[in-house]
Amino acid sequence: MTLHRRSLLAGALTLGAAQAFPGLSRAQARKLVFATFTGSWEEAHRAVLVPPFRKSSGGDVILDPMLSVDQIAKVQAARANPPIDVMLHDPGPALTAIAQDLVEPYPVAQSAHYGDLIADAQEPMGPAPFFQIVGLTYNPEKVKTPPTSWADLWKPEFKGRVGITNLNSTLGTGFLVEIARMHGGSETDVEPGFKALEALKPNLAAVAANPGALAALYQQEQVDIGPGNFNAIQILKARGVPVEFAAPKEGIIAFKTTIHIVKNTPVKELAFKLIEAALSPEVQAKLMQSPYLIVPTNRKVAIEGEVAKVLAKDADELNRKSVFQDWAAINRGRPAWIERFNREIRV
Amino acid sequence: MAAAGPVAAPLRPGRAWTAAYDIRLALPLGGFFLVFFLAPLALLVLVSFYADPAMTRFGLDQYARFLLDPFSLRVLAATLWLGVEVTALTLLLGLPLALLLTWAPGRLRGLLTLIVLLPLLTSVVVRTFAWIVILGRQGIVNAALLGLGLTDTPLKLLYTEGGLVLALAQVQMPLMVLPLVTALSRIDPNLADASAALGAGAWRTFLRVTLPLCLPGIVAGCLLTFAAAITAFITQSLIGGGQMLFMPMYLYQQASSLNNWPFAAAIAIVFLVAVLACVTLLNLVGRLSRGRARA
Repeated sequence: MTLHRRSLLAGALTLGAAQAFPGLSRAQARKLVFATFTGSWEEAHRAVLVPPFRKSSGGDVILDPMLSVDQIAKVQAARANPPIDVMLHDPGPALTAIAQDLVEPYPVAQSAHYGDLIADAQEPMGPAPFFQIVGLTYNPEKVKTPPTSWADLWKPEFKGRVGITNLNSTLGTGFLVEIARMHGGSETDVEPGFKALEALKPNLAAVAANPGALAALYQQEQVDIGPGNFNAIQILKARGVPVEFAAPKEGIIAFKTTIHIVKNTPVKELAFKLIEAALSPEVQAKLMQSPYLIVPTNRKVAIEGEVAKVLAKDADELNRKSVFQDWAAINRGRPAWIERFNREIRV
Repeated sequence: MAAAGPVAAPLRPGRAWTAAYDIRLALPLGGFFLVFFLAPLALLVLVSFYADPAMTRFGLDQYARFLLDPFSLRVLAATLWLGVEVTALTLLLGLPLALLLTWAPGRLRGLLTLIVLLPLLTSVVVRTFAWIVILGRQGIVNAALLGLGLTDTPLKLLYTEGGLVLALAQVQMPLMVLPLVTALSRIDPNLADASAALGAGAWRTFLRVTLPLCLPGIVAGCLLTFAAAITAFITQSLIGGGQMLFMPMYLYQQASSLNNWPFAAAIAIVFLVAVLACVTLLNLVGRLSRGRARA
């Protein structure tokens, strides 16, 4: 074989590409790829979930954190040979992924932990390894009496102090549905929710573009009170920002974050083992500890620490206090709501 | 080119080969563009012609939805207007800076160049977060105003259009200053001296000599700043907030929160065409002015 200039060049280019996109060669070795969420979720999963999985399965896993929509787009683009094996989803995108036939049913019969989960976490297309909790967050230096109800946001004393997000996020959409319910509406009738938002306008200091941006506003004291994610607040608290979480008496909004085996994954067995680890009481108990404070869904986990203090003492209380919204109905209405929010909510 | 002619003449036999080789040198970049820019763009156009979010049939529905909807058109107009405001402010602040940089002696010039370039060396996200700290209720501006007794309650600066224009102007400043400096430093300093010798004052020299000659730089700077300002998704959403809707956020919302790819693609194409129209207009102004500068 003679070495042609062209083949040399092609070889060099391939090597260069392999250098520039390590994902190419990684895909061929095919370790398990788990698309977790960015930020503290990735940190928590790397520290707590990965080691026991490695031990129990002997396999290896790559954490590839990305947004739910990106996970769906990537799997959709390569259904036959998906670049992700295990997906993690908020309730809205989870239904989209299921509707688009991107996930496998969870092998419930083989699972050692599925039956131990809280009833609402038992989803046959992908169980929930944890809940994301939304309640009221506030700055205790500015808000002396801790809020107890969503209705507190409308108090005149919070004129220009309330921060919310728009409906792009699960948080913003869940909040709208919750205040609609408070005023007699539901997932299929958010009219009262929009009326309530209209009435909230004098109190609104900011409508943030996403939950991350909203959290930053507490740090800048641009807002003092609003709906917020329990886990997002913990990160701020750990960095010394004066911010606290309060469970409204109407109930905390619980988003089932579900974990799914991707259809056509070549490493289905490993995917199953990773999810089993995520459902196990040992991993969930560790994830519940500081600094992660991730709300467990396995009934065998004894709830303690900050989660017990702020949210619920045990699985039954958690189940009782949580409001689970109907995201199938929400997904149907959401495009129109976003459109309406765009037009009507101008501060 | 005309001056190079006689020198190049003896090399003529080799010239055809050189020209062919020159084009081949552009092939890698051309191929790169074809695969990573033109092909996705074609795909985007294709997707925008689907009539429904599930992408089952073709039609002009998405374009009709955008172009016949006053709300969407207002979002487009607001975005382009934001670009105009930012470009005007950047030019107003950038031109004196560029002049200073051109006239400054050696060491100071190096220092000023570094200051101008510095923002380019930090990420847009970091620069934008700095503006949150500056404009916030407890920020530097409000603290100063309160301290001086100029206001009793903190002003709302963050999440306002004024604040956004200011932040964008700073973030995009290098894109304006660098072309201006290039254009200004190309102007023969003798021209200003000649103008002065002929009795023109500093202002007259600036308006009649310097400004027309650096117009190509102004046009280039305006083009870059305008394009960067209207597409600055991060700064727009962090400083403008979630209720101030501009085209990039509108597009993101449709694609990412609603999975409505066809409408998002149509928004992108409409935006692209609108921006191209603005750019063409600016280019035309540039070409006309160049004619004037030469005359």
